[in-house]
Amino acid sequence: MLLQLNNIFKWVNSGGQRIFLLKDINLEVEEGEFISVMGPSGSGKSTLLNVIGMLDTFDEGEYNFLHESVHTLKEKHRSNLYKEYIGFVFQSYHLLDELTVQENLEMPLLYKKYKGSERKAMVADMLDRFNIVGKKDLFPAQLSGGQQQLVGVARALIANPKLILADEPTGNLNSQQSEEIMELFKKLNQEDGVTIIQVTHSENNAAYGSRIINLLDGRKV
Amino acid sequence: MFKNHIKVAWRSLRRQPFFTFLNIFGLATGMAGVLLISLYIYNELSHDKMFADADRIHRINADIKFGGDETISGETAAPMAAVLENDFSQVEIATRIRNLGSVLIRKSTTNNNIKEINTAYADANFFDMFGLDLLVGDPKTALKEPNTLILTKTAAEKHFGVNNAVGQELLLDNINNYVVTGVIDDFPKNSLLREHSVFMAMSGYEDAQESEWGSHNYFTFIKLIPSASVEDFQAPLQEIVGDYLIPWVQQIYPGITEKNFIASGNYVNYYSIPLTDIHLYSDAQFELSANGSIQNIYILSFIGLFLILLASVNFMNLSTAQSLKRAKEVGIRKTLGSNKAGLVKQFLTESSLLSFISLLVAIGIAVVVMPFFNDLAGTEISLPFLNPVFWLIVLFATILLSLFSGWYPAFFMSRFIPVKVLKGIGKSSVGGGNIRNSLVIFQFAISVFLIVGTLVVFNQLEYIQNKELGFSKDQVLIVQDFYGAGTKGEAIKQEVKKIAQVKNASISSFLPTPSSRSDYTYFREGFTNQEDAVNMQRWLVDYDYLETLDITLKAGRNFSQERMTDSTAIIINETAVSLLGVSTEEALGLRVSSDLGDENGEYFTIIGVVDNFHFETLRDDIGALGLRLGTSTGNMAVKISGGAFSSTLTAIEEVWNKNIPEQPLIYNFMEESFNDTYQAEQRLGRIFMVFTILSLFIACLGLFGLAAFNAEKRTKEIGVRKVLGASVGQISYRLTLDFLKLVGISILISLPIGWYAMEQWLQDFSYRIEINWWMLAFAGLLTITIAILTVGYQSIKAAIASPVKSLQVE
Repeated sequence: MLLQLNNIFKWVNSGGQRIFLLKDINLEVEEGEFISVMGPSGSGKSTLLNVIGMLDTFDEGEYNFLHESVHTLKEKHRSNLYKEYIGFVFQSYHLLDELTVQENLEMPLLYKKYKGSERKAMVADMLDRFNIVGKKDLFPAQLSGGQQQLVGVARALIANPKLILADEPTGNLNSQQSEEIMELFKKLNQEDGVTIIQVTHSENNAAYGSRIINLLDGRKV
Repeated sequence: MFKNHIKVAWRSLRRQPFFTFLNIFGLATGMAGVLLISLYIYNELSHDKMFADADRIHRINADIKFGGDETISGETAAPMAAVLENDFSQVEIATRIRNLGSVLIRKSTTNNNIKEINTAYADANFFDMFGLDLLVGDPKTALKEPNTLILTKTAAEKHFGVNNAVGQELLLDNINNYVVTGVIDDFPKNSLLREHSVFMAMSGYEDAQESEWGSHNYFTFIKLIPSASVEDFQAPLQEIVGDYLIPWVQQIYPGITEKNFIASGNYVNYYSIPLTDIHLYSDAQFELSANGSIQNIYILSFIGLFLILLASVNFMNLSTAQSLKRAKEVGIRKTLGSNKAGLVKQFLTESSLLSFISLLVAIGIAVVVMPFFNDLAGTEISLPFLNPVFWLIVLFATILLSLFSGWYPAFFMSRFIPVKVLKGIGKSSVGGGNIRNSLVIFQFAISVFLIVGTLVVFNQLEYIQNKELGFSKDQVLIVQDFYGAGTKGEAIKQEVKKIAQVKNASISSFLPTPSSRSDYTYFREGFTNQEDAVNMQRWLVDYDYLETLDITLKAGRNFSQERMTDSTAIIINETAVSLLGVSTEEALGLRVSSDLGDENGEYFTIIGVVDNFHFETLRDDIGALGLRLGTSTGNMAVKISGGAFSSTLTAIEEVWNKNIPEQPLIYNFMEESFNDTYQAEQRLGRIFMVFTILSLFIACLGLFGLAAFNAEKRTKEIGVRKVLGASVGQISYRLTLDFLKLVGISILISLPIGWYAMEQWLQDFSYRIEINWWMLAFAGLLTITIAILTVGYQSIKAAIASPVKSLQVE
């Protein structure tokens, strides 16, 4: 088992009332799954994804990731954990504007202290695999949205994570670009065995996954 | 990773040229200012340290109170040096320097006089004392024999060059024959002998051989043996008063003992001051060359500190203001695995990069500005490019500065939480506002303080320059070095008086401008107790003196050519009258005498009393003064009626050249030499002004950047307000008002501090202005106006932007 959420609660206090963002969430994810999280705006999809990605905390419950109890870990260990095993893909790509495609891909490797020669090889491999060698010296602003997201996915994958978390990865893309990205996810999942959890509004996109989780007002339905 | 940091830093600097420019320019301006100030202070602190054994050399000062007059003298009596050498085992050698002032010098074979402004007699062990090497000549014998002298290289080159100088014969002031026995190198600009160019053998100076303890005319330097401590030396030094000074006084006033001398409130305190402290700490009345002041060093250090703080604060403000743009990057980096420390490192790398670029710009600015600065401060400083220590310090200081300026933005920005910043939850959530506001308040408080300082200094200067002095310095031309005229002086004066535009002319020993003068001790006839002594300056003047300078007679009469007895008459000022303890009317007809000096107990009758006039600087109270008839060779003052100035000058020059063809006419205007007296204040004023402008400039750069940031942060609010019907004026007003509140707080904080500090500064003047409410009001208004202009642009720009656009951004 890759990860397991037991009775996760998350809330904020507003005007003397406790508003639940996540309410009693139980979830088990096996390696190799492709899960789509769906639900209306404000249902807690992104919050759930952030909790799984360890970017956000929760108030109650247990979270185990590869035999580690995340809820008992210190900030530093947590960040080491997600640095090692998780790659993120964002709706608005979130590439670093000051860096070229090639340099953006290199970033996660820098933080993992790979050697220069290794980094070069891995970046070259990734450029090749995503068919973007010709774009390696361009800056994000010079790319279309679909191309940027392609780089975003490549960056998430480069350090060989076990899990990819994608928050509405096609939200800013047109239908054709969307399809390409989803096909890519499917391929990664099936051929490379990468576990994927994506948040999406679209039934079409959700269909690519092997399992769908529906949320409403912070609850699994 | 470091390479990556530099790369990102460089690219983000280039992507935001406006902020980068503000940041670098502000920082560079501050750094350049501090660089100049540091070099200046270093130069001031380095004074006289170049002499070998400088740490063992001290000078004897005397703190004297006698006859209602208190003086700290850098000079002591002629026999002092010999006593120190003979009686004190701690003293290795002692040497004297006796200033002679300006002297006309020519080779005995030519008629061409050249004036040397600073000359002195020096003892034969002068070279030993200061560790000086002769370029030519033998240091053991060079100043041994009477009528020998040595020259500095520059002085020697005016006559015959260095190599064949030894053995040349020179004529001083057209009468005294001297032989050149050596040439020394010019003294460095930061030594107290920097202005001296000629030293004559003390052995040829009669006054130096006398054992007279009453006149203090000799700069007496001692070199202590290495094991001696200065502290242990002070008590025995004071014993000289009982052992030598009092016995000498008893020869003249037999009744005096050390006990009743002290009991009458008089004192002479001898103490030593280290050679290297003289420039900044000695406040003696007479010095070998103009001193600096430690007070100015403190003031400048503060200004330097202010400047760098301002620049640094600017940096912090602009960097955190930019954090909106960097927040996303922080979020991404964190999700990619960077921890907080990594980000802190990154931002510090960035601030270092900025600091080093600023350093380059700052050095450029310093090089360009250096000549103006030297002019302003009266120094000859250059950037020590070849000195590795300089670079080491500069690099170290820059790193320190970049860490200091960078830490707050670094910690501020690395704290961003990725979930929030990546979602773009409201730009207003960036925060840090209170700290930024405090920093702005701090910056403007400093600026307001400096404005108050500038206003007060300039007003005091204005006051000094326009103060009713009790004499008229307008249209008065001073012919200097009148001793060159010799016996033809009176004839020249009469001829000059005949020139149409010349109202009057007067030959005198002294004019009412500060100059080195001595006090003489006078007693009223029939009074011999030391409590009755009156210390009074005595100037030799002629019949036309009072009229030429418009000095008002309060009672009695002026000297008259019809009365032969006026050669034993004296005119005194109001201070002298009150020190004599009589009324003005009672003073007339009294007789006074001085046993010391050249008057030898002769009695002088008081025939007139003049109104007090300011003959020293306005820092000092007006002392007692006596005017006597006498032939003197100091200078000739010429009062000219308005208009046709140049033709009058030509006429005077003609008279001079006809009588004294071998010497050029040297003159200046009394107004100028009066203004020279306040050079220190003028300098302080100008320095204040320059750095006030600088600090205001830096503060405005920061405010400008912050206003831009604020406008951006509130884009959405502005859009909403506009959609709801707010006018451009209302929005601009709102945006501007926020900053004006901060500036207002700064003004409230710094006005009282500025008022207090400048009140302290004014204490130094006996005659001073009061700090007016309008100066404070002006400082406040000026700051507010500048702030409005700075912020207004950004506010209006934000206010006129289309609301559709601004609402889309969010």
